[in-house]
Amino acid sequence: MKYVIAGYVVVLAILFLYAMQLMWRRRRLLRAVARVEASPAGDAARIDADPTPDHR
Amino acid sequence: MSPTPPASAPPDQSPRVRRVTRVIGVTAVVATACTVWLGLWVTPPDVTQGDLVRLVYIHPGVAWVALYLAFGLAAVASLLYLWPRTRSLFWDRLAAAAVEVGVVFNVCTLVSGSIWGKPTWGVWWAWDARLTSTAVLLVLFLGYLALRRVPAEPDVRAKRSAFVALFAAVDVPIVHFSVLWWRTLHQGATVLNPDLTPTIHGSMAWTLLLGFMALTLVFVWMLLVRYRIGVLEDWLGTGELDVALRERRAEGPAVDEDEAA
Repeated sequence: MKYVIAGYVVVLAILFLYAMQLMWRRRRLLRAVARVEASPAGDAARIDADPTPDHR
Repeated sequence: MSPTPPASAPPDQSPRVRRVTRVIGVTAVVATACTVWLGLWVTPPDVTQGDLVRLVYIHPGVAWVALYLAFGLAAVASLLYLWPRTRSLFWDRLAAAAVEVGVVFNVCTLVSGSIWGKPTWGVWWAWDARLTSTAVLLVLFLGYLALRRVPAEPDVRAKRSAFVALFAAVDVPIVHFSVLWWRTLHQGATVLNPDLTPTIHGSMAWTLLLGFMALTLVFVWMLLVRYRIGVLEDWLGTGELDVALRERRAEGPAVDEDEAA
């Protein structure tokens, strides 16, 4: 039975983590869009969209 | 003069689409929970496989989503992108979303199959035709995702991605028929066998069916969310370019357009 439990846990964990990552990515992009629309220069949007160490 | 943000906002999701996405998400969670409950506690153990049969309620389901729904949809969408009459970045984004979600389900297929294989066959992995062709499929579509990250114009990226998706999708029928074409360790199809006579009955069959439906709903929800991410990423890409051009123009005297290009 331990293999059965392991199979369910692994599959559900992979799907759950991917779903969380999708929601996080969508939220981050929506925030970046809101900043582009709000900021005249769009600097904040560039920082969000290109998170290189220079911008941080 | 200060530059202005991109003129048009990204196409927003209608409240109806947002509501449908939420309903699908909630239904998927409930259906998955029911599958787990039925699979682990309600259905009886199998005569030959014992409790290991419980893994069958999720393993074929994730394989169904990865192979037929996700990669099948990616192939169709890529074909529709390459067809001049239906060419639209909508199909490219849909294919990209389907492949990314499909790769996750493909990993689930290999992992759950491996966990079932260890107590059944005595090994975590065997170079069996079904297993190997499924692993090759994963590598091919990982290549597709890597190719999409290579910087290029959206149309160029879409066209070469579509060709790669169609090339990779050739492996899908190979995976499906591998158990018939070669002598394999992997068992043949339980439901979609050549005679179309399912060899599973009663509560086991219903649980298997519910598992297929639950994982299909999970796939649809992930596809909708991932597609939306693609729209936002594309809009931010062009938005950034607009802002940079306006800033450049605002820096000094007017620049000749041809020279700037």
